[in-house]
Amino acid sequence: MRKANCIQSASLALSGCLIVALALAFALASAPTLLAQADEPHQETEKYCLSCHGNPDLKMTLPDGEEVSLYVSSEDLEGSVHSPAGIECEACHTEIKTYPHPPMEFKTRREMTRTYYLACQKCHAANYEKAQDSMHAQVAEAGNLDAPVCTDCHGAHDVRPPDQPRSQISITCGKCHTEINQEYSYSIHGSVLLGEDNPDVPVCTDCHGVHNIQDPRTAQFRVETPDLCAGCHANSELMAKYGLSADVYDLYDLSWHGVDIAVYKSQWPTIWHESAVCTDCHGIHNIRSTDDPDSTVNPKNLLATCQKCHPGVGPNWTDAWTGHNKIDPQRTPILYYTEVFYNSFTPLVLWLSVIYVILQIFHAIVDRVRRSLS
Amino acid sequence: MSVTPPNNDPAAAPVRVERTYKRFTLGQRWEHAVLIVCVLVLLLTGLPQKYRGTEWSHWLLSTPERVYQIQQIHHITALVLTAELLYHIGRAIYLIIRRRLPGDLLPNMQDVRDAWRMIRYLLFLTRKKPAYGKYNFEQKFTYWFLFLGIGLLVITGFILWFPETVTRFLPGGVVPAALLAHSNEAVVAAIFIVVWHFFHVHLERLNLSIFTGRLSEDEMRTYHAAEFERLTGENAIFPEDKGGSR
Repeated sequence: MRKANCIQSASLALSGCLIVALALAFALASAPTLLAQADEPHQETEKYCLSCHGNPDLKMTLPDGEEVSLYVSSEDLEGSVHSPAGIECEACHTEIKTYPHPPMEFKTRREMTRTYYLACQKCHAANYEKAQDSMHAQVAEAGNLDAPVCTDCHGAHDVRPPDQPRSQISITCGKCHTEINQEYSYSIHGSVLLGEDNPDVPVCTDCHGVHNIQDPRTAQFRVETPDLCAGCHANSELMAKYGLSADVYDLYDLSWHGVDIAVYKSQWPTIWHESAVCTDCHGIHNIRSTDDPDSTVNPKNLLATCQKCHPGVGPNWTDAWTGHNKIDPQRTPILYYTEVFYNSFTPLVLWLSVIYVILQIFHAIVDRVRRSLS
Repeated sequence: MSVTPPNNDPAAAPVRVERTYKRFTLGQRWEHAVLIVCVLVLLLTGLPQKYRGTEWSHWLLSTPERVYQIQQIHHITALVLTAELLYHIGRAIYLIIRRRLPGDLLPNMQDVRDAWRMIRYLLFLTRKKPAYGKYNFEQKFTYWFLFLGIGLLVITGFILWFPETVTRFLPGGVVPAALLAHSNEAVVAAIFIVVWHFFHVHLERLNLSIFTGRLSEDEMRTYHAAEFERLTGENAIFPEDKGGSR
């Protein structure tokens, strides 16, 4: 009894400690910026630094001979998300405390960038971690130091909200992926984004992800493509807005291609499979409205698109694909009447057969009972 | 007809002598044996492909290579079945040309009358079963249902095997229709075989004539009375229970 009491009070004390610790941890985690400001009251470092770095001619020469401008525009800083929030130079340039600065060890400008961006993780740990899993990080690891780091997309001194306006995202990616951005800007998605600032169409990051961007050329990405498109194209509310069918995904799933891909997705997602996914027919970055004569699935171009995988097929071939349409007597008469046959005549014959057999069984039982009684 | 000669030797009297009647030729019995194997293999390799979303199908089609193997087996077996179907039809045509095709299997008005009579019998409206010829309407129904079903399966199967070639001659719409028909007809045929055919040859009575080629006199008198009378000129009703219903 005493022992039990002892354990009880000990566990009570322990849980009390735990709650306090948790509360503290929560407070610490939820307000890092607050805390930073409280610990180190607003320093006027920016003004101090700019007294030299505000000079547009300030520059240095790196060992490889490249000249690096050391000018920092005060407009860039004021327009950024950081400076107005009190996050100033020393938040990122942690090693520089005073003037004269400690000597710099960077051999190239890229090395400098790839060192300073590490400071981002101090506050943006989650996104930094995600970026380390990305295609870009893998490419860098493989030796391509031009692969982008935080500041290449977000900017350094001029960090702004990345999606204001939304079209800024495709412009950012387009800095390196020029050709793709060009294709995208002519596509149905890109053209209404750039033209009308339409909030519904996907920008690069909607399909590719934001920080943990993965290689879209893998088998896994391929089999998941229909689900990716379905994110919007199976949303009936969104599709109704543009007069599009929201059944395209479900109907694809019933098709020969769709069944194949669904099996590979669930069974062997890492094995490459050729069955067509959305992008094989509709295009990837160059997707256009099916009414557009340049669309790969416009009736005019459909046969050529089929022939990419089915070389040499004749003009009848395109009708073998029911085109994301429900079975319909006008559009797909052969399929329609086949379905009618199997939904009416065949079940009727089967049921009559079953009833006949049941009657025979019943009659045989009655006969046997009668015989045993007589 | 083949009749075992009656044994008149009094010493052998206790031995029961049974006359048997030829029902199927050796060729027909082989056809049926090949058909059983083909249908079984085709169903076993086809159904996992039809129900690819299910657990048991995943278990069978465990790797892409296995899917390919299963399809190969399905195709090879389909070729055997196609050859058999062509032989079957070819032989029928040959016999028609020689005017030697027996008409026993052709549906006629007698079948309608027999069916009507049989339904009345099953509903206890009459006590007498119809006297059938060589093939009763149930057996004719089995034959034609499966003949047409297998014909459809073979045709649609080739459309699915060579869709790109087929659409050079036929409209593209036949491809999805063939997929639907092939997939449905296979299940329909399987259900029909189990419910209808298995009941009639295994449960109602064990009828092994398709393997032995012969029917006993008892079976002839009971189930093919009209044929028995036509062959022997005797009354099919058993001498011992004249007047009774059997």
